[in-house]
Amino acid sequence: MKLGYKWIREFVKVDRGADEVAKALTMSGTEVEEIVHEAIPRSVIAARIVEVKPHPDADKLKICMTDTGSGILQVVCGAPNCRDGMISAFAPIGTDLGGGMVVKKARIRGVESFGVLLSERELGLTDDHTGIMEIEADLKPGDVLIDALNLEDWVFGINITPNRGDELSVIGIARELSALFGAELKLPGNPLSEDEAPARDVLSVEILAPEGCPRYAARVIEDAHIGKSPFVMRRRLFQAGVRAINNIVDITNYVMLEYGQPLHAFDYTFLAGRGIVVRKAIPGERFTTLDSVERTLGADDLLICDKEKPVALAGVMGGENSEVLDTTKTIALESAFFDPIGIRKTSKGLGLATEASYRFERGIDPAVQADAATRAACLMQQLAGARVLKGVIDVNTYGYAAVPITLRRSYIEKVLGINSFKDADVEAILTRLGFSLEKTDGGWKVLRPALRHDATREIDLVEEFIRVYGMDKIEPELPTFKPAALHTQAANLNDLRLALASMGLTEVVNYSFISPRWKPFFGADALELLNPISDEMKVMRTSLIPGLAATVARNKHLQRRDMSIFETGICFFPTGTGKLPDERQKLGIAVSGQREDAHWSTRPREVDFYDIKGIVEALLPEMTVRPSGHAFYKPGQQADILLGPATVGHLGALSADILQMIDVTDEVYAAELPVDALLGRKWKGVSEIPKFPMTWRDLSLVADEGVAYAGIVGVIEGLGIGELRSVAPVDLYTGDKLPFGKKGITVRLTYQSDTRTLEDSIINTWQDRIIQSLQKELGISLRQ
Amino acid sequence: MESQLEALKQSFCEELGQARTTDDLEPMRVKYLGRKGLLTSILRQMGSISAEERPRMGALSNALKTFMEEAFASKTGELELSSGPAGIDVTLPGRALRKGGIHIINSVIRELEDIFLGLGFTVASGPEVEDDYHNFQALNIPEHHPARDMQDTFYFQQGILLRTHTSPVQIRVMEKSGPPVRIIAPGRVYRCDSDVSHTPMFHQIEGLWVEEGITFAHLKGVLYEFIHRLFGKDVVLRFRPSFFSFTEPSAEVDISCIMCGGKGCRVCKGSGWMEILGCGMVDPEVYKYVNIDPETVTGFAFGLGIERIAMLKYGVGDIRMYFENDLRFLAQFA
Repeated sequence: MKLGYKWIREFVKVDRGADEVAKALTMSGTEVEEIVHEAIPRSVIAARIVEVKPHPDADKLKICMTDTGSGILQVVCGAPNCRDGMISAFAPIGTDLGGGMVVKKARIRGVESFGVLLSERELGLTDDHTGIMEIEADLKPGDVLIDALNLEDWVFGINITPNRGDELSVIGIARELSALFGAELKLPGNPLSEDEAPARDVLSVEILAPEGCPRYAARVIEDAHIGKSPFVMRRRLFQAGVRAINNIVDITNYVMLEYGQPLHAFDYTFLAGRGIVVRKAIPGERFTTLDSVERTLGADDLLICDKEKPVALAGVMGGENSEVLDTTKTIALESAFFDPIGIRKTSKGLGLATEASYRFERGIDPAVQADAATRAACLMQQLAGARVLKGVIDVNTYGYAAVPITLRRSYIEKVLGINSFKDADVEAILTRLGFSLEKTDGGWKVLRPALRHDATREIDLVEEFIRVYGMDKIEPELPTFKPAALHTQAANLNDLRLALASMGLTEVVNYSFISPRWKPFFGADALELLNPISDEMKVMRTSLIPGLAATVARNKHLQRRDMSIFETGICFFPTGTGKLPDERQKLGIAVSGQREDAHWSTRPREVDFYDIKGIVEALLPEMTVRPSGHAFYKPGQQADILLGPATVGHLGALSADILQMIDVTDEVYAAELPVDALLGRKWKGVSEIPKFPMTWRDLSLVADEGVAYAGIVGVIEGLGIGELRSVAPVDLYTGDKLPFGKKGITVRLTYQSDTRTLEDSIINTWQDRIIQSLQKELGISLRQ
Repeated sequence: MESQLEALKQSFCEELGQARTTDDLEPMRVKYLGRKGLLTSILRQMGSISAEERPRMGALSNALKTFMEEAFASKTGELELSSGPAGIDVTLPGRALRKGGIHIINSVIRELEDIFLGLGFTVASGPEVEDDYHNFQALNIPEHHPARDMQDTFYFQQGILLRTHTSPVQIRVMEKSGPPVRIIAPGRVYRCDSDVSHTPMFHQIEGLWVEEGITFAHLKGVLYEFIHRLFGKDVVLRFRPSFFSFTEPSAEVDISCIMCGGKGCRVCKGSGWMEILGCGMVDPEVYKYVNIDPETVTGFAFGLGIERIAMLKYGVGDIRMYFENDLRFLAQFA
């Protein structure tokens, strides 16, 4: 909400600078986000046009002989409203109008011009640029305009929290300032002289939906003269960001800003049957609002109707069929209280938010309807020469019975942790905010003002007190506590990240939502957002691989070829309609490009399957693998990761389809497994360091190509030789020197005993057993 | 004696300058630094000088000894490199080890966790896909309340959504265990918003302390301690009353601008303050949802944005950088 400071000051006597007032508001919960200082150059003066002559060379230009108070100057002007005797705003040569505009002596189509006459828009006062400024006030030529019209002002941009509907007005802010500075709040006097004829004779009001409209007040105004509003009103509306239309509509907006009470003016002649009926819409009923949009309504929407048809969408927007026009003479003025929830549903449902709906949603003052209507009528009388029929038609079923709230001093102390405040502080603050207090034993009985819908409980009063008293008066204090430790799961996750980082992998953080184009590969039945930011961010991931692959692609496209990245994060698995999904924390890894940076001593090598497998083995040494057939990996270059008999994850080379989809030509190897599998590992205790020497023996074997390494190890370990401590492949060979369909493999066997030094003879026996078993089980022979 | 030492140093330097191979060096070492060398012979005079002068002379001769030893070592290296076939070009780059790193968001979370663990908080977590009840209702944000406008929500279906803040963890923790509760809950949150200063996913950390006797003064105490540990003791805090449905009284906390120290700069838009977190005393209404008696316990809650902290600590200007995962960006935090 934007409001001019001088307008606010009309209602409260606060002689402080705008900055100080803004700070006090901000520090009590009404955040002033910005202050715009409005001033015009002091050289801009009032000037009287004494003679208007046609320009000899241009039809649209005129030569205005202008009395500036210190001489008559010739000014060329193109405004259509220049006329003899008019007083306007004049900027002499040398005036800096801001934005690099400095008034210079000019020759316009051969005629010299010694300054400019300005429009309100050029002065930044309103957005009116239909002609030069028309000054209604009785000013003398030469009067400094900023002083003579009291133009200097400060516009506050105020951010009002959703609970403070009572503050959405000039008076609301003034009331707040009265509490903050101990100044008196002055409400408008509204001196109205009413006609003898009662309004109720020409207009009836009937409420068929009192739950949606507990109060409807109306006035009837006749013989209004539609015209332009006075400058001060238009400027204040402009400061507030409201467009000026005509005096009647402007007055309804002006009073809305003053009182926080949205008003609506109907052209009375369009109201059939001289009556207002408030009712719920019939489902499917159509209605065209002021903005010329036809809207289809539901049973919850509330309509203001005449005796035949809807004329306004209650609390949101008026109807096209009854709006005030230039020809309007008689006005029915609405000042109602609508149910906040109902208005919010309608506004949300139709996607139509207005200044009115914004205020109704947040709860307006239920006691102000008649006053606001009278205020508007009064202004219409003053500014549109209208007659106001007698009385406010006021149908009021709003049942507000004030329930006393118990406020204990001990409770304030308990919540805030201070006891230095005086009872008088509490009483003064709450009283100035409009609450009434009655002292009781150890506290007060408090009645809230009707407009403070947000202050119904003891805690609300504690907040009212402290936000005005000052949170800075509470001394910080550390509570007593016991030191805490990170629980194991979180600590292990951090260790896991560190381990991966120390292996040279970089952690990435991808969005939890992915593109539906991944569906053929991951999570065909994954959760989908109803209202995604874009289609590319629609599906909740069931795997980290899509995000990692996209990150690989993005970096490849940024000319980075080599990368090793990982992510830990939640994946989402649906469990059925209406239920929360199963959320599982996973670890995903992707590697691509060269394994090492280019170096003069080594030949470059591309990463391959065994790099990704090595990373996973380092994290999970007890894992085994089993060839797999996932569509997202290349056939024959992928495996499931097993822990004991259970499959926990997978690894492999991303499939050609995926590489094509992400527009990457290099191989990308990935792995994914649940974090639980990695964190569930238990410390097995320290094993003794063997005292006796190790012995190594290499066996060069020739096997059929189809024999898996795991099979060879299986046979060797199956012999149960306790002293055999490890088997490792040290060389792998295929080629011309071996028969077709055979491969050479050299395994290194390490022997060690805990109790003695092993002699060659015993090791030879074991070696022979191994060779025989390999021959028998797998048809493997020793390489010659 | 002082002049003798000076003369010795001069002749040493001249002779060392003339050495051409490592073979020249050993006789020199014996001559100057050997047991019967020139330095030793000068030191023999030590007994004949006055007790007052002795410490100074001792220091001078020690300094000369060190100087000569270092000069020998450096000269030896120099001659070995230039002379023998055993020399290698030590200026060639070493074999690079690839450096990995933890994502800046997670390292900031880690840092915050450390601070709060030290203040007695444990770490809790909750689901990212939430129901309306935990994300809104139990936090005193009823349906059709304008407070819902504060958060644009992603929905899957009626009542199932992506959590818009880490606050539902408060409810989940209090549902499971009564007071005392002292937790922080870091995690991903989501809002249907995407522009220069918003990403549809970001991270928050929630704090909750519920226990008999906890006051707003304690809230201030904990947050002062936290901010001072994070940004240093000189930072000033300002508690500005505000509104959150699930706390009352509520406040926004501003800190004196860590870029300009509060004088006013571009980062703090000239105000000298920067918004850092929201907090307040847990609203009694919230306790009703988790069966805690608001008359016996009080508590406070706070929440802050991780990206914002990272931005302030590391000067990252564009929030979108965090999730673009440009390795050139991430490597800067490795």
